[in-house]
Amino acid sequence: MQFAVPPRKGPVAPPSTRSSSLTFQRRKQLKTITTLSIALFTLFLLLSQLFYSSTETAAAARGTPGLVIVTVLDHTLYGDHYLQKIIKNREHYAQRHGYTNFFANLSDYDSYIGYAPRSWGIVPVLRHAMAKHPSSTYFFHLDAHALFMDPSKTLDAHLLNKHRLEALMRRDVPIVPPDSIIKTFSHLRSDDIDLMITTDAEDLSTGSFVLRQGDFARFFLDTWFDPLYRSYNFAKAETHTLEHVVQWHPTALARLALIPQRVINAYSKDSPSAGVDGTYKDGDLVIRFFGCDTDPERNCERELDPYYSLWAKKLKFE
Amino acid sequence: MSATRSPSPRPGAGWSSPVLTPGSGSSTPRTGLFPTTPSDPWVAAKAKSDEVRGYPSFSTRNNGFFSRSKRQITATLPRFSAASSPNGYGEKDAFLQGRRGRGWRSLWFGRTVLRRRRTRFFFVLTLVLFGYFFLWTWLVESFRRSRFGGGRKFVIILGSNIEGGVMEWKGAREWAIERNSVSNKQEYAQRWGYELEIVNMLAKKRYSHEWREGWEKVDLLRETMRKYPNAEWFWWLDLNTFIMEPSYSLQNHLFSRLGEIVYRDINEYNPLNITHPPIELYLDEVSRSATGDNDPSSIHFLLSQDCGGFNLGSFFVHRSLWTERLFDIWWDPLMYEQRHMQWEHKEQDAFEYLYSSQPWIRTGVAFLPQRYINSFPPGACGDEIDPRVHYTEGGRDFLVNMAGCDFGRDCWDELYQYREYSAWLNRGLWARIQDSFLDLYDSILG
Repeated sequence: MQFAVPPRKGPVAPPSTRSSSLTFQRRKQLKTITTLSIALFTLFLLLSQLFYSSTETAAAARGTPGLVIVTVLDHTLYGDHYLQKIIKNREHYAQRHGYTNFFANLSDYDSYIGYAPRSWGIVPVLRHAMAKHPSSTYFFHLDAHALFMDPSKTLDAHLLNKHRLEALMRRDVPIVPPDSIIKTFSHLRSDDIDLMITTDAEDLSTGSFVLRQGDFARFFLDTWFDPLYRSYNFAKAETHTLEHVVQWHPTALARLALIPQRVINAYSKDSPSAGVDGTYKDGDLVIRFFGCDTDPERNCERELDPYYSLWAKKLKFE
Repeated sequence: MSATRSPSPRPGAGWSSPVLTPGSGSSTPRTGLFPTTPSDPWVAAKAKSDEVRGYPSFSTRNNGFFSRSKRQITATLPRFSAASSPNGYGEKDAFLQGRRGRGWRSLWFGRTVLRRRRTRFFFVLTLVLFGYFFLWTWLVESFRRSRFGGGRKFVIILGSNIEGGVMEWKGAREWAIERNSVSNKQEYAQRWGYELEIVNMLAKKRYSHEWREGWEKVDLLRETMRKYPNAEWFWWLDLNTFIMEPSYSLQNHLFSRLGEIVYRDINEYNPLNITHPPIELYLDEVSRSATGDNDPSSIHFLLSQDCGGFNLGSFFVHRSLWTERLFDIWWDPLMYEQRHMQWEHKEQDAFEYLYSSQPWIRTGVAFLPQRYINSFPPGACGDEIDPRVHYTEGGRDFLVNMAGCDFGRDCWDELYQYREYSAWLNRGLWARIQDSFLDLYDSILG
């Protein structure tokens, strides 16, 4: 074998020139090798970027809520005088914090609900609110028979903020009170959450929850509103359906955070079945007159009035 | 040794190259007639270092395993045409001489070199041919299987052993069907570097009636997705299918041109008469549009329709949150309880129901014309031949699905015929030549 370069023991080639050429060569080699490896590495990065496809949908940044308060108003059952109080209360709150209100007239949605109870209306109304406000992130559905009592609290700091939510999330507790086998996931982080909801003593509360707009919301609302659920004759219509969905479908449960009731869903003292520490105390964000619309003994307007005047008085002081 | 040659990294930079710059690596041959000058090693070293300057990539001195074996590796490569010089690097002088006085000597050189080059040429040719016949397929297939080949993005799931073990014994024909169908997919997956997962649809109590009959498909898909965490598309195939054109890759046949070939507006072919797009005013724009967002990247479920509606004998699902949600909602105890008597085709009917009742599903589903992935043989879907539905000879359809062959038709017979036809369609060059000669013979004599 003959080498391109004469072997070390060759007759000529003085050692001095050789060593200098060697270092020169060595430097050149090193240079090439580094450039080559850098090039290869970049190529690899580029290619892996190219072939990597994300399965996650882009979610809006947390903590910057364009928030929409969704209210379903039933003009056929309640007088304008009463409804105006609710509207006024909410408009004030929204204006103060830059939120948007979405008031829906329930009878507009009757044709979609079909023969099912009218309480189902909240689902298409939420979907409608999302369609109308495609750039908003959070949608806070609050039952009509409720008042914002502490307008100074922003929902961002009170609930939606990443750290706040992390602290509020109730992990590994039965999803349906008092003791369902299915419990909320214990490993969830606040970034996973699309639905923030509370429970009272008996059920998941469909009267007050926050839903984040996105693929999950569309899936969740469409599934919830499935015709076969509506025709199933659940005793508590959409509430029981919701409980069914989150218990049977882990993809829904994996996006749900259970939060303490009083955060967004404090019950008035007349309301039945408030959860543990679920009754309204002074300083809570919201008071709900739960059941005042279904119980013939009760009257929503009469229950709401004292709190409304309390709120109005508070406004004057500020 | 006479086997030395210039270590030129440039193919074709032969000795006859007229523009000889120092360090181009060319060498002029010399024979023993012209003894090397004493200064040869020095010239050689200089030439070498010049070369290094010219091609600094890997021509290191023998100071590492790679560089040492590199010489051996390059020795086997067909870069040969660079002329050789038996005496090493005296060539510079010789070349200069040759240029100065171009006479009888160069001619003489030419002849020896020609002879030498011819033998080498044949040697290399045999090497190349050998490599081509024995290694080329292997190389191509392992590239496709590798990270950059893109084959790993696809998994073929073949449902086998339907109702096996409980409902009936498998006879010779059933075994033959299974064997042929499986090997057909194995060859295809091997060829394109895809993964093949053969799943066992053995009848289990878990899926028996009044519980969730026929719903293994979804569970098996989910299991397979867990098993291949890097794959993106999962292709479900029933056992009674046969890939007719193994030369079509999924990438070329479908996924590189999804936007052109799919239809998302079901009205294009709507045997079920599903109202589309949804008319509910509370839905968002995308849900109310007939074609969804019309972006191929939002397709997560790819299937075809036959004359009776959706067909899940051959379909694709994309790994995504959308798909997870669909799989989750696909089987629901309340829906099953209310509808299982009507859902004759189990998960297929349930999917049709979900598609028509839940708008979010429509935005992720796209349809392919049936003959792209799911041609039917004559006899399925009525007695007439519908060019949208049925395999036609000469159409070179990708896959044939012998749907419903267990009802009054002969599965094995159909499979056998399609197998033979596919083999004939894709026969090699030699067989084609033979055939054309036979035809010629027939036409002359007959």
